[in-house]
Amino acid sequence: MFWPTVLVVEKQHKMIDIYTYVIIALLPLAALILVFQVNPYHALVIRAILGAVASLVYAVLGAADVALTEALVGTMLAITLYVVAVRSSLVMRLGILEEVATEKEQYFTELIANLRQVVNEHHLRLELVSYPNSEALDNALKNKEIHATCTKISPQDSESEHQFIYQTAIRVHHLFEIMQNELTLPTTTLNYINLSHQEDKH
Amino acid sequence: MDFILIAMILALLIPIYEAWQDNDIWQKMLAFASIATKTSIMMLVVSVLRDDWPIGVVAVIILSVGNAGLMLLAHLIRRMNEI
Repeated sequence: MFWPTVLVVEKQHKMIDIYTYVIIALLPLAALILVFQVNPYHALVIRAILGAVASLVYAVLGAADVALTEALVGTMLAITLYVVAVRSSLVMRLGILEEVATEKEQYFTELIANLRQVVNEHHLRLELVSYPNSEALDNALKNKEIHATCTKISPQDSESEHQFIYQTAIRVHHLFEIMQNELTLPTTTLNYINLSHQEDKH
Repeated sequence: MDFILIAMILALLIPIYEAWQDNDIWQKMLAFASIATKTSIMMLVVSVLRDDWPIGVVAVIILSVGNAGLMLLAHLIRRMNEI
């Protein structure tokens, strides 16, 4: 029979054993480690550890059913759902043209690597989405399917300033600020596209 | 027989320290695997010490479920690095 209370322990052992206190002390220790995590994925793994320690504490205190629920729901279900949610929300979608995506130019791979590095420092992922032509790319930016576009500047425009080869248009202002401050490669221009006159949801 | 449990608690502190200090997510996952197994083995020991069958059954279930949860989590994190 399941008795989810401490009373069972006290009925069987009149004195609570010393190891009970030590095991219970592990719970705030794991919680403190969890609180000081910065990266969301690391925090989720530590949360799983906290769930394992919590179910041990519940089992030692005699609450077998609570321990089973903590292990099933708190550790397995919640963590899996949260990883899926964080993975699909913490992402920057960058739209590029298919012809740019297929060519393996050194400037482009350097630029993508630099963008990825900047974005990774803020715990985001960079996802490349390729479109067949530039109209589809512009429409995708307007319809808010992607957060930014990266296209090649046509040669007649770039005669005056030679170092710019690509132009990057970003529609999320905070991302634009991050890129403006931290992007180190000078091979792209940065533009902020304000779409806020339409219904603003991003 | 309490000294067995005290020794296991001390052994449990090693992966907790590893999960705290290491910044690589796979090292954290390894520490999680270690902790999940160690805690359920400790539950089994407690159930044997107290002759408490329900806790023993729950410990066995948690021992298998912990591994399943670890596999799910590892697959999700691995696919995150690929995309």
